[in-house]
Amino acid sequence: MSGQTYLVAAYLGMIAALGIWTWTVFARSRTLESKIKSLENALSNDESE
Amino acid sequence: MNIRGEVVTMFGLAGLGLTFWLGMEWAPSVSINAFKAPDAQRIFYWHVPSAWAAMLAFGLLFIGSTYWFFKRSEWAWRLHVASSEAGLATGLMCVWSGCIWGAAEWGVPWDWTDIRLNTFAMLTLLSLYLVLGRKSQPDGIEARDTFSAFGMYGFVLVPITYVATRLWQIRHPGPVIATSEGSLNSDMSIVLLIGAISFTVLIIGHVMAGMRLTNLELRLEDLQRQYEERSE
Repeated sequence: MSGQTYLVAAYLGMIAALGIWTWTVFARSRTLESKIKSLENALSNDESE
Repeated sequence: MNIRGEVVTMFGLAGLGLTFWLGMEWAPSVSINAFKAPDAQRIFYWHVPSAWAAMLAFGLLFIGSTYWFFKRSEWAWRLHVASSEAGLATGLMCVWSGCIWGAAEWGVPWDWTDIRLNTFAMLTLLSLYLVLGRKSQPDGIEARDTFSAFGMYGFVLVPITYVATRLWQIRHPGPVIATSEGSLNSDMSIVLLIGAISFTVLIIGHVMAGMRLTNLELRLEDLQRQYEERSE
């Protein structure tokens, strides 16, 4: 492989790493939001009973 | 649903893609006489902006840590958490891209005698400690104080890292911008600027998203506690 190819691979690897990190943060937010929603529903159901 | 941080982050990532393309296709090549590996020099458009973003994240970490330590403010703790993660990600990007360039240009990826390299690595390791330490400890005032103290005192490495190549230039190249000795081609400066803006936008977006994430984690813990109390 030429130096240019190694460089492109390194760049794409780093962009992919940042993309995975970003996706992880967003996915954790979604998961927490749905857990919070179900707990809030459970708590409000308890109150109404 | 609050998606402001996510939108800002996506703009930052798009800017990084543009920086990559411009750096590879548009920016002029460096002189073959001045560099042993002129192709590898193109990683400069990623390496320098990631270092800038890491310094920005460490600055935010210092603000969050100090404000938490003295004022016990919840937003400051959220800023501490989000900026330590952002500092770790961008610090690793900078170290990794520097190793790639060093291996091509110097023949070795690392130099243990170079002050700039080693103080920056210590900053990155500090953020690694803060990220892993927080995940392994139960949340509480004492744990937050300990991590904030590291965030505050660790900041002393930022100015040392900044002046290192001016005072003790060993292997890492000296400054090429914001200096009277600088001689950066204008096209190179444009790509570098786009990279710096993109990394700054990415970091702002991630800190916003990270602060919101910490808020959600704390809210979930609170609700779980309420639920357990009612179940008993």
